[in-house]
This record gives sequence, C-alpha cells and structure tokens, in this order.
Amino acid sequence: MSELLDRRAIKLAETAADRDDAIRRTGRALVEIGAVDPGYVDTMLAREQSISTYVGEGVAIPHGTLGGKELVHRDALSVLRFPETVDWDGEPVTLCVGIAAKGDGHVELLAALAEILLDEDQARELREATDPETVIRLLGAIQEDSNS
Amino acid sequence: MPTRTVAVGSASGLHARPAKIFVEAAAKAPVKVTIRVGEKKAVPAKSMLSVLALGAKQGTEVILEADGDGADEALDGLAALLAKDLDADDA
Repeated sequence: MSELLDRRAIKLAETAADRDDAIRRTGRALVEIGAVDPGYVDTMLAREQSISTYVGEGVAIPHGTLGGKELVHRDALSVLRFPETVDWDGEPVTLCVGIAAKGDGHVELLAALAEILLDEDQARELREATDPETVIRLLGAIQEDSNS
Repeated sequence: MPTRTVAVGSASGLHARPAKIFVEAAAKAPVKVTIRVGEKKAVPAKSMLSVLALGAKQGTEVILEADGDGADEALDGLAALLAKDLDADDA
C-alpha cells in the first residue's frame, strides 16, 4: 500500500475565500496526487451541505459521500493549513484534513486523528505547523495504525 | 446507573456523519451521557472528537451510561439512534 499521506498533498500556507473554496482546494490536493477522480470534490461539497465536517480544535475533515466512494482510487489524506482561518459556519478553521477512503479503513484513521486533536499540545502543534515534516511526524501514527 | 449496550448500526461505523448526528442528540439530552467501548475509558457522548476516537465500526458494541432525572429516556433515544443505519439516507 502506498503511503496514506503524500508529501505533495500537504500545503501549509493556503488561503481560501470561504468554506466551499477551502473544501475545493482540499479536494483538489487529493485529485492532484491521483487518489480520487475530480468528481469526488463535488461529493465533498455535497457532504458538507448535508452535515458539517467540523470536528473541533479548528479542524475540519472534508470527505465525500458514500456515493463518492466509487470515485476513490486509493485511500489518502490531504492536509491544508489556512493561517488566516476560514469561517466554517461560525467556527474558525485553520486545518482541513481531506479524506479519501474506499472501505471503512478511515474509521481508524479518524480515530487516530481525533486522538491527536484531543491532546491539546499535539493539536496546537498541528495547527501551527509550517513544515510538512511536522505534519508527517504527528500524523505518522495514523499511517502505522491504518497499515496494521 | 442506567446503562444501555448497543451495536453500532451505521454501515460505515460511528464516523463523521453518524457521529455528528449522535453527538448533537447527546448534547441535547438533559443529563450527562458517557459512551465507551468495552472496558476502555468512558468519554462524554457530546464530544465529537472523543466519539470519533472510539473508532467504533458497524457492529461494535458501545456502552452508554447516564445518571439523574430523565437518564433512562435519554439513553433509550440515543441507543435507538445508534442502532439505526444513519448512513442509509446518505447520497
């Protein structure tokens, strides 16, 4: 299995006009590394309209609908940081973790991400990361978990 | 303490969407509800991150607990919600 977190899908100095723009950028990063079809981005927007993917700690986890799974080529993450924050239905979001998942492997992935965010120090480090290495180190545990 | 044990019914587990629906319902309950898997630590059912961190998949048994006035009604409602497939109406 190729790596879940491709360095090319980590972009730490992004800006977005609004929530949907941020979702499109997060989705595009998954398209660029060949993890999903371009159409997957639309299912990410549809998902967000049905229910917010904001999880707390300034982090949102945009991902497609169940119907969008057919457009996923391989499980992957994208990590986009918006230093100026994006208004997410009233919540300031600094970090978008885009998720592409074919099966239910992303449940473990989400669980591992949530564990990191529940640790205040790690959550802050992730929000303030300016170096992809920091992101890879923090989220590295997720890769190990999901490959096991 | 009133307790309910229920298997997660949502096809894709207690992840983003089903978790959100559950967490929002738990936040509206008149009593403090906790959720846990097996003998692991019980966490607040209204905390999205805590619920996601459970990593519960379809069929995973979770234990809900609450105490005080209205605890039984609250637990019944939340247990029924968990048992349902909350992904079913997802496009």
